[in-house]
Amino acid sequence: MTLHTLLVDAKEEKISSEKAKKFILSEENGAESIFIGRVRNENNEKKVKAVTYDAHDKAVIKSFKSICTDAKNKFDKNAKIFLEHAKGYVPVGEISILIAVGSGHRDEAFKICRYILEEIKHQSPIWKKEHYIEGKEEWLPGHSIRPKEEVK
Amino acid sequence: MEIQLKLYGSSKILSNKEILHIKLPNNSNIQKLRSVLNKIISEKYLKNNLQNLSKTAAFFSEADEVVNDNYKLKDKELISIIPPIGGG
Repeated sequence: MTLHTLLVDAKEEKISSEKAKKFILSEENGAESIFIGRVRNENNEKKVKAVTYDAHDKAVIKSFKSICTDAKNKFDKNAKIFLEHAKGYVPVGEISILIAVGSGHRDEAFKICRYILEEIKHQSPIWKKEHYIEGKEEWLPGHSIRPKEEVK
Repeated sequence: MEIQLKLYGSSKILSNKEILHIKLPNNSNIQKLRSVLNKIISEKYLKNNLQNLSKTAAFFSEADEVVNDNYKLKDKELISIIPPIGGG
């Protein structure tokens, strides 16, 4: 198996880098690139205590598979890719996304990692609600996926 | 006719339930749904929180595919509203 994608329910499980490293390990690969995104304690000068991630589960998994397949076709067909994203309430400091790539060479490994991250932001139906220390909460703005020809 | 609108992301401000039941004239399409949604947002005094949602949101059919403004809605159909996304 060369591809693993999952939405992880934060109530039940934590995203693990050990699991990712094990998945991408292969004697055929000379490079491993791992990106870990964590919930930061500040955004736009507001003190953040946690982020709730909402997701359209089926469409997210479909988009993850399509993005990873595109990345392999573009950069390295033999790459091993591990991709997990959290869903639910994630406190500051915890992992929200992990992308691990095992590839023949470093350039491809870096490129695949970056490509997947940027495409997720534009294709995968995931939303963030920030919870602030002062008690308020706010849904963050994002990228519209409405067909461009319809937007006047 | 009535459709079921499954709420995601910021659209969850519209209701504390996962699904919003919306009454529409027969043979309505997504474009009509956008205008009714805009009215609901105004009536609930949520313009500040959901500014432009009716314009920027995409809609998924039950097959989880984006549907365009001409898509004809069926009575009791389940449609998902997809506000602007931002994971990662």
